[in-house]
Amino acid sequence: MLSKFDYVKPQLLTEALDYLEQNADTRILAGGTDLMIILRRNAETPKHILDIKGIPETNRFEYKINDGLFIGASVTVNQIAESKLILEKYPALVQAANSLASYQLRNRATLVGNICNASPGADLAGPLMVYDAKVHIVSSEGTRTVDINSFFTGVKKTVLKANELVIGVSLSDVSEGDTSMFLKQARIKGHDLGIVGVTARMTVDKKIKLAMSAVAATPIRLENLEEMLSSQPLTYELAIMAGKEVGNSIKPISDVRSSAEYRFHVAGVLVKRALLHLSAMGGK
Amino acid sequence: MCEKHKNQGNCFSHVDSGLQVVPLNCIVNGESVCAHIDPTMTLLNFLRKELKLFGTKEGCGEGECGACTIIMNGVAVNSCIVLALEAEAANIMTVEGLNIDGKMSILQKEFISHDALQCGFCTPGMLMSARALLDRNQDPTEKEIKEAIAGNFCRCTGYVPIINAITSAAKLEREGIKNE
Repeated sequence: MLSKFDYVKPQLLTEALDYLEQNADTRILAGGTDLMIILRRNAETPKHILDIKGIPETNRFEYKINDGLFIGASVTVNQIAESKLILEKYPALVQAANSLASYQLRNRATLVGNICNASPGADLAGPLMVYDAKVHIVSSEGTRTVDINSFFTGVKKTVLKANELVIGVSLSDVSEGDTSMFLKQARIKGHDLGIVGVTARMTVDKKIKLAMSAVAATPIRLENLEEMLSSQPLTYELAIMAGKEVGNSIKPISDVRSSAEYRFHVAGVLVKRALLHLSAMGGK
Repeated sequence: MCEKHKNQGNCFSHVDSGLQVVPLNCIVNGESVCAHIDPTMTLLNFLRKELKLFGTKEGCGEGECGACTIIMNGVAVNSCIVLALEAEAANIMTVEGLNIDGKMSILQKEFISHDALQCGFCTPGMLMSARALLDRNQDPTEKEIKEAIAGNFCRCTGYVPIINAITSAAKLEREGIKNE
């Protein structure tokens, strides 16, 4: 790489925030699985690298009954993939974590890094969206919380300002009977960005939540479809109809991984499949 | 890719940034290492260029191929996309650390006896992914082995003997047959 940067790893949050405030050309490093490639390709040449893994708050990873789940910014994708508790409470999150890249990558990649990188195909965005996760953002000016559904603003763009740091995300607690599923189509199993990703969730009162990745400029929630699906019992016929309808809610592009036409087709298949799974898990 | 990304042909080598060197202390294959390095250096370049541990390979350099896999603090990682400075106080094992008292480990012997390599370029990474797997799971299924080495590309298409070698090594390790 041709970048000339210094590397700092503060052990205190306030130290990190002051550093961000004072050094405009700073890139934040957690897992580095996106950043290191950007640096290697010289696509960006930041002057400062701020490693946040030493900050205790970013390593927080805990579930509390009623409060729900908190995932700090340094928590790796494998930590999530290996959590039996998350599999039980938020299954789509574990399924998406397991589908991301390779084992070695998942030992470094972080969930928060996945959403901050803001790829339209971010695997972990969909599961966070159907659980209406909250993104906790800090800066030297204070803290703010942004709903994940308003976090993405464009391809590789988020609401984050240069002096801000995501400390973690939180998910509300779920009732027993709440279930979800993540499905992804890729050229090869794992190890490739998804062609289409679908996350579907059914709450205990049979409300359906749907999110998709790699079918628009950002990961998206499909609110129109959710409304239709939540207003009647989830039958086989309804799942098939939703699979046909989903094409009206997405704007896929053609790229190296897939044509837009194929994305339309796969989106329909995966939405139908995810809904049928939820239905089998206790819908009707 | 070099031209496309204006790398001036330097994709595969470390370009000294000219910045002031900074100290790095870690443990590599059981030995304490104290070095002063360029802050922009990757862990892979540190191992190869500073420590002259040439076992770990650079393939894609972007975390796709797994040739640079090492074990850092007990877990397999792609050393090409880790900054050397991130390894401060870390415990690192490379393929050179697999031997036990200068003798080949069971895993290495099984790779040889199963002909689990042709050109050998992917082998150090394969061995480290396999070691990390056997450290966390003494009796892996074929599916678990495949999942563990999914991030290690072999272009000689030798996956079947590699999987057999790992299965066999797991069995021998379980039976407690240490280096003869």
